[in-house]
Amino acid sequence: MVTITYRNANINLDEQVYDPAEDSYLLADVAIDNAKEGMKVLEVGAGTGFVSAVLQENVDVDLIATEISPIAATCARASGVEVIRTDMFTCFKHGTMFDLILFNPPYLPTSEDEKVPGWLNYAFDGGPDGRDAVNRFIDEVPEYLNNNGMVLILISSLTGIEQVKERMKACGFKVETCDSDNCFFEELIVVKGTFRESEL
Amino acid sequence: MKKDLMDILACPICKGDLVLNISKEDEKEIISGTLYCSKCNEYFPIEDGIPNMLPPELRE
Repeated sequence: MVTITYRNANINLDEQVYDPAEDSYLLADVAIDNAKEGMKVLEVGAGTGFVSAVLQENVDVDLIATEISPIAATCARASGVEVIRTDMFTCFKHGTMFDLILFNPPYLPTSEDEKVPGWLNYAFDGGPDGRDAVNRFIDEVPEYLNNNGMVLILISSLTGIEQVKERMKACGFKVETCDSDNCFFEELIVVKGTFRESEL
Repeated sequence: MKKDLMDILACPICKGDLVLNISKEDEKEIISGTLYCSKCNEYFPIEDGIPNMLPPELRE
């Protein structure tokens, strides 16, 4: 198994799992900047567990992760992350609340003939406009956030940054851009959403 | 998985409570076993420390 090290965390990789790339590093760095000691943190769709492993190595948080792929879940566990195989939030009891929820969604606009075989498709396929997974996340996440809880979502210019922000606002989030990174064919940003029940 | 995950895990189908059955554990956590929903009559396996909370049609 190939292992990489970033900010003191060791992460196990697998060829059938999305390798950490610019998006992963950006979200991990922003998560470290925004997390506070003792926070209850959830990462949805953790993949190799890169973001979770880096965050918990650098900030003393109480973290769990979810992942749908068995191969990715095995990587995440080998990287020291407490992981549950589930589809987004479906395994959680009503009333389960977190202070910080992280999501690096599958965000590429993907047509039927662009799908890749096997579990790896879950890492990329954002549906026809790239927003299938992120839209579902935004709609469902408020139930699992404490008042003043925070989400950090990685979005690409390929996904439609303004459309994602508008949907977050409609779901009760105060929205700001945390950090961005220009890759050669897309702009990546992390959007921070702070949830206030009073804004609904 | 650590035992205290039981505080937050629910059946993914009906959101009801689950019964934990441990086959193997060490001093830190549960390595293998099952989580059972009596209402749905469905078992969710715990293998190599990872609970598999996917409904049967999504598992493989």
